[in-house]
Amino acid sequence: MSTIENIYICLAAPLLLAIVCLGRDWRRALSFLLAGMTACLMSAYVSSFISSALDTDLSAASHEIAPAVEEIMKFLPIVFYILVFEPGKKSVINGAFLVAVGFATFENVYFLTSYGAWELLRVLIRGFGTGAMHVSCGMVVAVGLFFLWDQVWLRVVGAFALLCFVITFHAIFNIFVNQPGVIFWVGSVLPLTMVLLYLLLFRGKINLS
Amino acid sequence: MIESYENALQIAVLLVCVGIALVRAIAGRSRTWTLLSFFYGSWALGDIFWTVCLIFFGETPQISLVADLSWYASYIFLYLLLRHVAPPTSPLAQRLLPWLGPVFTAGMALFFMMRGEVFSNLIYAALMGLLLFSAIHRLVDGRRNIRQGFLCVLIIAFCLLEYGLWVSSCFWTDPEPLNPYYWFDLLLTVCFPFFLAATRRAVAS
Repeated sequence: MSTIENIYICLAAPLLLAIVCLGRDWRRALSFLLAGMTACLMSAYVSSFISSALDTDLSAASHEIAPAVEEIMKFLPIVFYILVFEPGKKSVINGAFLVAVGFATFENVYFLTSYGAWELLRVLIRGFGTGAMHVSCGMVVAVGLFFLWDQVWLRVVGAFALLCFVITFHAIFNIFVNQPGVIFWVGSVLPLTMVLLYLLLFRGKINLS
Repeated sequence: MIESYENALQIAVLLVCVGIALVRAIAGRSRTWTLLSFFYGSWALGDIFWTVCLIFFGETPQISLVADLSWYASYIFLYLLLRHVAPPTSPLAQRLLPWLGPVFTAGMALFFMMRGEVFSNLIYAALMGLLLFSAIHRLVDGRRNIRQGFLCVLIIAFCLLEYGLWVSSCFWTDPEPLNPYYWFDLLLTVCFPFFLAATRRAVAS
């Protein structure tokens, strides 16, 4: 068993126990977090498999394969939730956020164990850059679904289009943060700016409570 | 180099359009303007991805799927916008004229498939066919008012410009200003801001 599975077990175990013990709403929230972490683990497998099957180099895998795989894997728990539990709009939107947070958390922990955590600046960039990117992708899906929820066909078609949208955003982010100098900083700040804009512009307009 | 400048101009125009549409979407909590924002945003992201690959890697992406996904999304958002502001008022299969759209895109798909990929060309043909069909159907529908007709005409023009762009890219590849590919792309850039006006008219109707 490689490191990534060990980390997953270590992080998932307390969550799993809490899910069993807690009440309904909390259980649902923690389940989304756990689903996000699981999606991250699965993405690592699927991305590696596709990269080796297509024989792509590391750069192409980073900005062409990983974004598509990660965003699709992040979306699968939400699709499952919608199909099986037939929940309401707000529940799905909050779920999309939490899955993204779970995904970003697990990815960050793996990054820290691989590259170390002793450089504060690097950790900050990782946390507020890549972490915010996953959250902002979840946010775009959430805002989009909020406006496209009325009919089932609209939800399905809209969800596919939103998924395409966030895949491209993720790919552009990955290209930017792999460049040196100013481009790296622009890429790192972009998702956080989007999250702040969301808080400023949409927070009062979309009631998710 | 000329392609990078041309793409940069298109991205700039699209970002301004995204901003305007987004402001209206937020101000009115409007689905119409949100869909238009997503249409512009998807197209801009596809352009940015393509341009960034050209600038940083000196070549078009190894797997063009990412940029294609973004453009697929923009066609879907445009269709959803049209359907939202101008819902169909008569049965879809009643008239023959709208079927010209899918027939045209199917023919063009065959032409493109002989030169390139099969799968992506089929998806483009399906989405373009749907857009053309829907726009023509609403245009020939006698009960439609002229304000909504403007959006339909614009969508038809947009699709035809896209096809002009793709066909010219098959025959002219020289990076020189006289290449029709750049002219079609420039016309497409000019076409984008008109969607703001067309949507406003359609909403007002």
